[in-house]
Amino acid sequence: MATAVGSRSRSGRNLRTWGAAGLFMLPALGLYALFVLFPIVQAARYSLFDWNGLEPLDQFVGLANFERALTDPTFLGAVNHNAVIVVLTLAIQIPIAIGLALMLNRRFRGRAILRLIFFAPYVIAEVITAIVWSLLLQPDGLTEHFLTAIGLGGVYAPWLADPDTVLLALFFVITWKYFGFHMILLLAGLQGIPREVEEAAAIDGASRWQGIRHVTLPLLGPTIRVSVFLSIIGSLQLFDLVWVTTRGGPVNASNTMAVYMFDRGFVRFQFGYGSAVAVILFLMCFVVALAYQRWVMRRDMEGATTYG
Amino acid sequence: MAEPSAAREVVSVVERGAAPRPGARIRVGALAVSVLRYVVLLVVVAIVVVPVAYAVLGGFRDAPQLAADPVGLPDPWVWTNYTDSLTSASFWMQLRNSGIVAGLSTVVVVLFSALAAFVLARREFPGRELAYTVFTLGLLFPATVAILPLLILVRDLGLLDNPLGLALPEAAFGLPLTIIILRPFFRSVPKELEDAAAIDGCGSLGFFFRILLPLSRPALVTVAVLAIVSSWNQFLLPLVMLSDADNWTLPLGVTNFSTQYTTDTARILAYTTLALIPALAFYLVAERQLVGGLTAGSVKG
Amino acid sequence: MVATRWRSLGILGILVMVVSACTSGGASSQPSGGASVAPPASDAPASAAPSGEPSAEAVTITWYHIQNNDPGLGLWQKLADEYTAAHPNVTIDIQVNENEAFKTKLTTLLQQGDIPDLFQTWGGGGLRQQVEAGLVKDISADVADWKAEINPGALSMYEVDGKNYGIPFDLGLVGFWYNTKSFEEAGITAPPATWDEFLTTVETLKAKGVTPIALAGKDTWTGAFYWAYLAVRNCGQAGMDKAVVSGDWTDPCFVKAGEQFKQLIDLEPFQEGFLAAPWDGAGSGAAAQATYNGAMQLMGQWLPGTVNANSGGSREMGEGLGWFPFPAVAGAPGDPFDGLGGGNGFAVGKDAPPETVDFLHHLVSLDAANQWGALNSGILPTTVGSEASVTDPTMASVLEGRAKAQFVQLYLDQATTPELGGAINEAVATLYAGTGTPESAAEAINAAAGQ
Repeated sequence: MATAVGSRSRSGRNLRTWGAAGLFMLPALGLYALFVLFPIVQAARYSLFDWNGLEPLDQFVGLANFERALTDPTFLGAVNHNAVIVVLTLAIQIPIAIGLALMLNRRFRGRAILRLIFFAPYVIAEVITAIVWSLLLQPDGLTEHFLTAIGLGGVYAPWLADPDTVLLALFFVITWKYFGFHMILLLAGLQGIPREVEEAAAIDGASRWQGIRHVTLPLLGPTIRVSVFLSIIGSLQLFDLVWVTTRGGPVNASNTMAVYMFDRGFVRFQFGYGSAVAVILFLMCFVVALAYQRWVMRRDMEGATTYG
Repeated sequence: MAEPSAAREVVSVVERGAAPRPGARIRVGALAVSVLRYVVLLVVVAIVVVPVAYAVLGGFRDAPQLAADPVGLPDPWVWTNYTDSLTSASFWMQLRNSGIVAGLSTVVVVLFSALAAFVLARREFPGRELAYTVFTLGLLFPATVAILPLLILVRDLGLLDNPLGLALPEAAFGLPLTIIILRPFFRSVPKELEDAAAIDGCGSLGFFFRILLPLSRPALVTVAVLAIVSSWNQFLLPLVMLSDADNWTLPLGVTNFSTQYTTDTARILAYTTLALIPALAFYLVAERQLVGGLTAGSVKG
Repeated sequence: MVATRWRSLGILGILVMVVSACTSGGASSQPSGGASVAPPASDAPASAAPSGEPSAEAVTITWYHIQNNDPGLGLWQKLADEYTAAHPNVTIDIQVNENEAFKTKLTTLLQQGDIPDLFQTWGGGGLRQQVEAGLVKDISADVADWKAEINPGALSMYEVDGKNYGIPFDLGLVGFWYNTKSFEEAGITAPPATWDEFLTTVETLKAKGVTPIALAGKDTWTGAFYWAYLAVRNCGQAGMDKAVVSGDWTDPCFVKAGEQFKQLIDLEPFQEGFLAAPWDGAGSGAAAQATYNGAMQLMGQWLPGTVNANSGGSREMGEGLGWFPFPAVAGAPGDPFDGLGGGNGFAVGKDAPPETVDFLHHLVSLDAANQWGALNSGILPTTVGSEASVTDPTMASVLEGRAKAQFVQLYLDQATTPELGGAINEAVATLYAGTGTPESAAEAINAAAGQ
């Protein structure tokens, strides 16, 4: 393309041609189209077939798989559980992450160790999280001993084993595992807020809390919005931790859409049906993502504080 | 300025937080907040650390101990779970393989994403939002479903049993998250800087490499850490792409401690604790990069 | 603006199509074993010929098994080395995977057309699916002269439509393993022989403060054993065949099975938190029994090894563990000695060289089977005459039960398709989780069978 990248002329800085921008995007786009888009399109194709993964792909059933999923009480229950987790995550996990990030943003001794500790759960493999928390929460486990020791023995119940409480117990484990991810994201965002701005607010007479509310948090806004977006999508796609901790049980009480999809698709060898569930999950996330981008994140892209 | 000790830090925080008009009442209030802050931190630390400690200590026990007393400390201390892994050649080989794959995939994903996020953040062109949306699509589709066609693709490219066969798909699936995270950071770098660079004769690529990237270090380090951790814990992808046991990554090695009929939990705990250490060590190193102001001083003058 | 948007979309679409066109050769867009064009992973030049006499040219056999720990791992290796020593032109490429990892691995291998020459199979519906997809070799002719060496009941589990597609090397029976110490303490002198006696035993144990049964509720196949056995008792072989082979699960005997299971469940015999207990590992049903937090467990023949592993060598294999067969149900049409069980075997891939069957014969020879038996592990060999090699007394009693059984029903989630098997496990789980009734469970199974 004519307008070359890195040109020294003054017109070089105005890369308005699609081509030059495309060059920057090309590596990512190429890799992405090959390893992500293409397999996804293929997988979506399976959703129109009744296929056990072994025979040739020839039993076309059209939208029957979709109909089956949308009328299956187990799947609908899973959708419900996902919705609960989304709400709980936004209400509990994000504020905790923000709070901790704010606390860890100040310089104090041992900060590095604390950051490491809080990030550790995210690094631990899901299967270990499942093993350890199952052990901690089981009867005669650490939790029961601890609660008895502080006099709250009556509170204990094997929460992971009760269909009525398993989802909440699981949410606790999920929060434990993933709050570090959001914390590290928000910390990076906080690093980008110049110290002078906060100090200026303090000099103007704002209390710490006012400073946070009116200066820090708004400046952290774009990062928070990214974090919330990732939380929502992550909650909808929740799979690994649920699978290894409860497998969606007992009796589907902690089922999520992705667990349902994996169980039906991979374990029960109904790849066509599993792909249909994946497409449904994708469409749900797509609608959420579009709506979120349009209404929430648009302001971040249109002439925000420093750009444009 | 010398690093204040914790106690003095509390006081200085109090002083900084208080209005420039000192008053005993305000000081006590702020002190209470600080104490509350430390208590909260301690509780959170406990909740976070105890399970991790459990996993580490569990590796020093054996199955009968875990069955008889889930709560207790190791008694006696079983060293073999850890030493067996540390002295086995396969552990180090798997460690090396995991490292190679994680390194490759991280470099690819961060570089490619940065290039793409740059134009997605700072350039106007038709179809920009569409391109961004297309990139976010990858986040919305459960990757496990795409594993079968992905596998066939990798095989057709001749990349089975090859670290690239793992690294490239991992990088590809990491692109959406990385771009989503990087775009607002790139966006927030003031346009004035770019204009200033252009006046000095620096083109887009030059601005990208010499100014934007260094300024975005916290963001880059963050996405790098996330990419490494994601690759480190991948199980399904290496399982289906790798056959030769010499090419196994660490998560695959864990399966050796389960058989058709038994699961040796203690050995699993020991092994995964060891596997955890490199990832955490990398985070510690990378974490240094997250500290330290950046834009301070860049716009002045 | 709309125009440019469509243009961008179009360009993107072309990019994707170009990429996919470049990468889909005939093989990758038609995923299946049958239509695959890609050559199998490692194969001999002579394999194009139909199975006949082995050639003297160099041959490689890829072998996937799941005995990933010693002693099994070592024994298979030894047998393979013996074979290659006797047949120098043959190389055996052994791939070992853990149980669950193997299932995933095999799926992907079969998907991309790289069918192993010799691979682990559990028979039943899973094998049938692979056979119907044309991935497994029909070895009826090849084994005709030596298949009489194998236990016929076991062999039948690896047949599809009367033809042989696999050879077993292990068949066990599910039965009740009990802590003899707990029974003594509760004053129970003899294991129950009928279902009613069994319920009484449970009540007696409970009254003495002993948890009667350890159940791993998280792995739903464990609870399904109860229901399956009651079904075998109430429906008999005829009823089971009608359901498993012909797909008709409407017989009321299945509801009856659920009702009898419910009688047990209503006694609340399981250990605390059983719904979240996995089969093995820390916090598991096996650990519960090992620590006397569950006197009885309905489980396959591998249990003693696991209990032993969870109890610190203070219990030798079978020590303190007794075995009794599933009790008879008064008035039920099924033979009281009928069993529920399953094991392991090997299937031969459709493109395997002829030497593979010969190698397989070596692996299940009487000598090999005796070596397996002597290990006293969870493997109970199926070669006729090898029963004597199992010296452990409790294992021997399992073998006795196996010998007495005229009919052994393969575990339901293996005998049927993975789809139906999963549905059965789930439906039975609703019974012991208290969210379903015998009728609803039977209905759910029927519905799943209909799909």
